[in-house]
Amino acid sequence: MRIDYIHLVYLFGTLFCLLGISLCIRTARTRFGKLQDAPPVSLWITRLPAESAAKLIAFGALIVLPAGAVFIANYHTFEGVHEVGGCASCHVMRPMVNDMQDPNSGTLAARHYKNKWIAENQCYQCHSDYGFSGNMEAKMTGFRHLARYTTHTYKEPITARVRFNNQNCLNCHQGTLKFEAVQSHHTAGSRLASNEMICLNCHGQAHPTSIQRTPGSADYSRLMEPFR
Amino acid sequence: MREEGIDPQNRSDTSDITRREALVTLGVLGGAVAAGATGWGLLEGMVALRQPVESWHKSVCRFCGTGCGVLVGMKDGSVVDVRGDELAHNKGVICVKGSMLPQLTRIPGRLTSPKIRKNGTLVDASWDEAMALVASQFSDAIRYYGPDSVAFYGSGQLFTEESYTANKLFKAGIRTNNVDGNPRLCMASAASGYVQTYGKDEPPGSYEDADYADCFFIFGANPYECHPPIFERIRQRKRLHPDTVIICVDPRRTMTTLHSDIHLAVVPGTDLLLLNAMASVICEEGLENQEFIQKHVRFSDGNKDCDITRFREFLKAYAPEKVERELGVSAQDIRRVAFLFARSKATMSLWTMGVNQRTQGTFLNNMLNGLHLITGQFGRPGATPFSLTGQPNACGGVRDTGALAHALPNGRLVANPGHRAEMEKLWKVPEGTISPRLGLDALALFRAMEQGSVKVALIMCTNPGTTLPSASRYQAAMEKCFTIVVDTVEDSETQRHAQVVLPAALWVEKEGVTGQGERRYQLTERLLTPPAQARSDLQILVDLADRLGHGDLITARSPEAVWDEWRNVSANSLYNFQGITYARLKKERGLQWPCPNPEHPGTTRRYVESDDPFVQKGAGIEFYGNHDKKAVVYLRPYIPSPERTSTDYPMYLTTGRILEQFHTGTLTGRIQELQDAAGPAKIQINPQDAFVLRIQDGDPVEVKSKYGSVRGEAVLTEMSRPGVVFASFYDARLLINFAVADNYDPASKEPEFKVTAVSVRKVAT
Repeated sequence: MRIDYIHLVYLFGTLFCLLGISLCIRTARTRFGKLQDAPPVSLWITRLPAESAAKLIAFGALIVLPAGAVFIANYHTFEGVHEVGGCASCHVMRPMVNDMQDPNSGTLAARHYKNKWIAENQCYQCHSDYGFSGNMEAKMTGFRHLARYTTHTYKEPITARVRFNNQNCLNCHQGTLKFEAVQSHHTAGSRLASNEMICLNCHGQAHPTSIQRTPGSADYSRLMEPFR
Repeated sequence: MREEGIDPQNRSDTSDITRREALVTLGVLGGAVAAGATGWGLLEGMVALRQPVESWHKSVCRFCGTGCGVLVGMKDGSVVDVRGDELAHNKGVICVKGSMLPQLTRIPGRLTSPKIRKNGTLVDASWDEAMALVASQFSDAIRYYGPDSVAFYGSGQLFTEESYTANKLFKAGIRTNNVDGNPRLCMASAASGYVQTYGKDEPPGSYEDADYADCFFIFGANPYECHPPIFERIRQRKRLHPDTVIICVDPRRTMTTLHSDIHLAVVPGTDLLLLNAMASVICEEGLENQEFIQKHVRFSDGNKDCDITRFREFLKAYAPEKVERELGVSAQDIRRVAFLFARSKATMSLWTMGVNQRTQGTFLNNMLNGLHLITGQFGRPGATPFSLTGQPNACGGVRDTGALAHALPNGRLVANPGHRAEMEKLWKVPEGTISPRLGLDALALFRAMEQGSVKVALIMCTNPGTTLPSASRYQAAMEKCFTIVVDTVEDSETQRHAQVVLPAALWVEKEGVTGQGERRYQLTERLLTPPAQARSDLQILVDLADRLGHGDLITARSPEAVWDEWRNVSANSLYNFQGITYARLKKERGLQWPCPNPEHPGTTRRYVESDDPFVQKGAGIEFYGNHDKKAVVYLRPYIPSPERTSTDYPMYLTTGRILEQFHTGTLTGRIQELQDAAGPAKIQINPQDAFVLRIQDGDPVEVKSKYGSVRGEAVLTEMSRPGVVFASFYDARLLINFAVADNYDPASKEPEFKVTAVSVRKVAT
């Protein structure tokens, strides 16, 4: 089995948690007032007074390990969601994922998927602003979505309030023969680059329409099938 | 942690920590929750504040006949964004012109004040002054020369309410049928073709058919450039069903032919040979649908009915081997295409100006519809003849309202006394009000100006100074007439010959309905205030009606009031769209007529029982527009165009549109990106011809015909087939219509822009 980052995240995350919990219990059980008389503790190559050792353990339990766990969790959140399965774990995203993987669909997402124009992490490749290295706005939006989703303060069909960044298209398409052959791409180049004019206007639907994603529509149950 | 009270001895050791810990824990937890909630709240606020668009409004693109649904983004009272509307028929796809609609609201050179010509120059005037002059000119002409000395020349870009009001004012108020417009130059042949074949105008199918067709027969059309969202839909069909065949018939190589499977590059003016040859193959090889013909088809030679045997006899002269030379397409290709057309599961034909702008335009339309009828490629999803249209409201505004010289609303004809009587009743005017004399169609109108019999003409929302063929002739004709031009921008060719110019509102500066190519009526709501003194065309017409003493006839004065009158008029016809109310149009993404009541969903496929409310139960398909409920297939002989090449004029000139510009470029030419993309218009010549003529890329050349000549820059391109030169008509600096012939179809009166015999030579700069 190939060991990649996700396994390390699981391993270190679990270790941090277990260690943190056990050290917390130990700290809680420590009678700090009685430690003055206790013998010094041997810690690898050095010997510390018992009280200092207990404080060090408390510092690790209450500050270092939780911070580490938070870091790993966040790192996982930013990196793990690169995978399509990560997106599909929120059920409002299922229509996008199911449609993308539907060979009979003609949306831009589906065409990029079935033609293998994007081999993996398809969601992230086109929405590259949301990852660890993405911009602050995407993270704020992501936090807002998370808050809405977990508190159930949203309504289907969801609609994007942010403007899709053309740069995500241009990253791959700009410079290709097909792209450069179209005169309008050059003359509207600055408007495309500044996102004033969106690629999707001429090139069609990226995902199922809001009507299809509305509960009760003819396509709704098909689009909402659980992600496999 | 130990519970309190269990070990009193150790209480002091532990309880402080426990309490502190508990407080800290609670504090941290509470703090975290508060921070999270505040963060979320702040984010919600920030996201709301950072929105580049305050509100989105459903609307319709201003440009071509595709009539795309768009969403208009407004902020601080101006249009800041436009997107394709995913819920409209175009499924969110628009083109580069539509994407530039925000710029359209800010184009330079808007007309902002009425102008009157004084001592040869147009000078600013007040509305009252200008309208008083217009009214007095109209009144004087009518008094001294009769009502037929005045005319209205409208546009497929006016709102329906405006065309309907103008038609009513002139035909029932002034009592002249001199009401015509630029749709005569555009789809008159399609309209006459439909009427002759089905008894009623407008296409039977829908854009939706493109989602089901297995064979696309694109004939004399370039949808990649001229109707991009429709071609995108065709390509989408092909992407999902790679077996779909796209056939394109065009003398030129175009972006559409480059994306087609089969390109038949016919010699300009000869393509009726192709259609007849296809029909001959279909009949000869047993590819016809006998059952469909039996049930739904009648044959006619144009004068009287005949039978299929006569049709077969007629077609013998058009065997592929007999026509291939003149047509410029091999017999083998003709047979292949005929087979694909007839035997595909569903064939959709799409055509436009290559067919309509021809001296045989009506015949070509007859035969295109005829091929569908003899093969039964009709009425099933994907199987339909479909004429694309060029302007956003030529269908709904002009064809359906009958704002044409020979027509009355809802398919009625001036020549029919019964129809006139019906309209007099509906318009509540005395019997005999509507003149029995046919009005002047576009070319006849401008020829009448030339002869001096039309004294005053109101030209609205169009630029005939550029768009008419043999342009110099008709520009001079305008000089002999008192022309009033209502326009949105300054300095059109037409305005140079106008006596009065009136500033009009543009696109979302006014409200009204447009009807695009598939019988779909859509509402454009008002979002902006017109600049300075500009007024809607409807306001101008109402003002004119009042000043001419017809205020009591034109009682509906707001767009919605006019619409309500019009839809109630339609209830007395087979165009019935009484159910298409403003309330529905504000909510729904347009509706396709027939739509007789507010609950009716609209008609996707006309003449088909499941869709069309006028088809009798159990009939399946019924052509109810004709007395015997059958569609007519005509025996239409090929008659060569009067423009045949000769030693003096050895090449063909053909004209058309390009992707980035609309019509004469008065609007799109003012949008920088579109102008940069299009560049100045050039004369396209095949390198083989250029070699013989010793013309190099960029050389100044002269294109000369019997009608006039024009000079421009040559561009050498394989897109033109040898023997054919091409130029687009969007650029007034290369006004190609100076050289274009003004021959016209005898039935539809549509000029033949597509075929002119010319000579080309290099000239000194």
